[in-house]
Amino acid sequence: MSTQTQQRRRRRGIRGFIHRLRHSRFLSNLAANRLAMIGLLIITLMVVIALYARIFIGGVGPIEGYYGEIMGSNLSGNADMAKAPPSPKYPFGLDGQARSIFPRVLFGSWLALKWGTVTVAVSTVLGVSFGVIAAYYSDLVDNVVMRTMDVLLAFPSLLLALALVSILGSGLQNAVVALILVYTPRFARVVRGAALAVLEDEYIDATIAIGAKDFRVLARHVVPNCLAPVTVQSTLNFGLAIIDLAALSFLGFGAKEGAPSWGMMLSAGVENGLHSAWWWPFFPGLALALTVLGFNLLGDGMRDALDPRMRDAID
Amino acid sequence: MAATNWLETRVRIVGGSLLAGVAIGALGLLVGGVRYDSQTVTTQLFAVGALVFGFGLLGWSGSVLLGRSIETVHRHLDRESDWTEASSRRAMARVAGFGGGIMGAVTVVGLLFGP
Amino acid sequence: MASKWFVIKRLLLLIPVLIGISTVVFAILHLGGNDPAAVMAGQGASQEQIETIRSELGFDDPIWVQYTRFLSDVSQFDFGESYVLKPGQPVWGSILADKLPVTIELAIYGQLFGVMLGVPLGVLSAIKQNSLTDHITRIGALAGISVPIFWSGPLLIILFANILGVLPASSRIDTQYFIEGPWAFFGHELPLTGLMTIDTLLLGNIDAFVSAVEHLLLPAAVMGIYSMALISRMMRSSMLEVVRQDYIRTARAKGQGQKITMLKHGLKNAFIPVITVIGIQFGTMLGGAVLTETVFGISGLGVILVNAIQAGDYPVVQAAVLVFAMLFTLVNLTVDITYSYLDPRIQQ
Repeated sequence: MSTQTQQRRRRRGIRGFIHRLRHSRFLSNLAANRLAMIGLLIITLMVVIALYARIFIGGVGPIEGYYGEIMGSNLSGNADMAKAPPSPKYPFGLDGQARSIFPRVLFGSWLALKWGTVTVAVSTVLGVSFGVIAAYYSDLVDNVVMRTMDVLLAFPSLLLALALVSILGSGLQNAVVALILVYTPRFARVVRGAALAVLEDEYIDATIAIGAKDFRVLARHVVPNCLAPVTVQSTLNFGLAIIDLAALSFLGFGAKEGAPSWGMMLSAGVENGLHSAWWWPFFPGLALALTVLGFNLLGDGMRDALDPRMRDAID
Repeated sequence: MAATNWLETRVRIVGGSLLAGVAIGALGLLVGGVRYDSQTVTTQLFAVGALVFGFGLLGWSGSVLLGRSIETVHRHLDRESDWTEASSRRAMARVAGFGGGIMGAVTVVGLLFGP
Repeated sequence: MASKWFVIKRLLLLIPVLIGISTVVFAILHLGGNDPAAVMAGQGASQEQIETIRSELGFDDPIWVQYTRFLSDVSQFDFGESYVLKPGQPVWGSILADKLPVTIELAIYGQLFGVMLGVPLGVLSAIKQNSLTDHITRIGALAGISVPIFWSGPLLIILFANILGVLPASSRIDTQYFIEGPWAFFGHELPLTGLMTIDTLLLGNIDAFVSAVEHLLLPAAVMGIYSMALISRMMRSSMLEVVRQDYIRTARAKGQGQKITMLKHGLKNAFIPVITVIGIQFGTMLGGAVLTETVFGISGLGVILVNAIQAGDYPVVQAAVLVFAMLFTLVNLTVDITYSYLDPRIQQ
């Protein structure tokens, strides 16, 4: 342990970072996991699609050009085209407003990844703060904070989000806020477990003995060592966050009516096209399920590659 | 002897957080009273206290109810297992006490100075 | 063995659960500047009308008075009157009472589906530990939880109702059947349960029963996938643990075949911890019911909850949340008490 610690101290900056990446057992374990790599491939593909959709469909000013076409109804021009089946020109068919579903699904990936990132990023930051504080100031604070998190975790995520939405009001931003509150406890728990493991190490005691201030110890030593398990938890929860966000939109609490989000398209498709146009709900759902599967595969592989001591807290 | 001990522990756990709740509640009334009308402040503060109190009570009874199930599931699925029914119950009693303190403070101040 | 005191103590827990959840839903109503009087008056109501409604409903009383009044109402099972969905009608009697059995039935069959698939899959994984079957089961479970209910539901409808035409797509029973009480039991007239699959049998209508089961198959499958994944993992772990214990080894030493030994001795003991998952999982089940009911056009508690939140019908939201919580508590009480009877190691 001590030589490893010294090595960790000696190499700083970019070169140290690259060195650590190349010698990381975590990454080499992960690269050997075929399923995880398939997951990574799916995620990469989705990110590329999302960026493409944002730049070429969303355009610079989001109202102009192609974006208007995927947003606006085309019924006035070609009413007979509504719910047209997939064809070479419209690979995913048309919906009830005679809009091509294909570019809408592509743009949906941008929305899903964007809001998924916001949800996971903010709840990670909040969770890391709670978790580290709980681990560092043990006993009473730890107990109350963590048990509160545990009780919150016991509620089904969708019902808890619905309860919060009924306080905050509906709308995409409120849905995201609700989900951030729902997801924060998951990160707090992982971080606390990892931070406790780090704090048990001798070198932290040594740092405190030298007289380092609380904040320095937390920022310099505890937080960096929690990064691996937090990354795993973020990956695993990214998929779940996308599902929950889509579910809120599906129930009418998230994205606005007609927005090209997967949840909204599914909702419209199930309501109006389930028996007459299977492609309407099918393709948005396929994109959603595929993205989530990608994150679950990668996250599952990452968890297996993790140091067993850190693995326990992740579920 | 055992009975007094039993009572003493519980009073200590809930009492401390109850007092903290009363203090925070009173402080909230003072600070909020500067900016908003008394109706809004008492309603919102009482509601926050009720949320905390209800959550704590729910968590307390939930811990007792589900304690064994959760411990079994954790054991079998290799999850972090430092969750115990006892610690959860104690923490939730504190949370409930805190919320109850806020509710109590708002009620007492409201009754004394209200219309 | 569980004593009578143990059961009574557990039942007493219902009181703090009820007070706790009532307090939370009370807080939800008053937090964040919701104005129930304005919602009830509707759009375009004058300030005066709103004020009248406010004082009629007692919303101008001090909040602690409202709180104690709310608790005493709830303790008498009085959830007030609906604002929007059915204005002026009692929330329990005319809105929730019929919806409760719908959701209960859905959850029971969903859980049944999860157990009936999850247990064999878990056993299979345990017997063939680390084999291809084990891995496929694990990946299958992972894929299962990746598919959201609001996509797997429509997929099953498209496949089984639209393409194959073998199962119905929505509602609870074919429209030709009228399931109405009371039913006769040795000359006594008794009310119906509200559970379609039981009521049809009570009335002795086998065709209607078949129709009700057919309508339940798809929603139950969709809801059961999640608990199937968890139950199979739990069963696998529990099975492996039981196998390591002595009496299995003894039985094996006596010369019985390995797999038969595992099944015969292991299964019963391995199943006991799995029961606990069923209780905990029930909450997720209720969350899933919200989506499943929406997809399959079944009007149960979940759909009502969503509609009430959208409409701002707070008494209905409060009552629905309360009923969900009581349901969850009762199921877990049952699980806990059953568990203590089944597991000989627990001495209360």
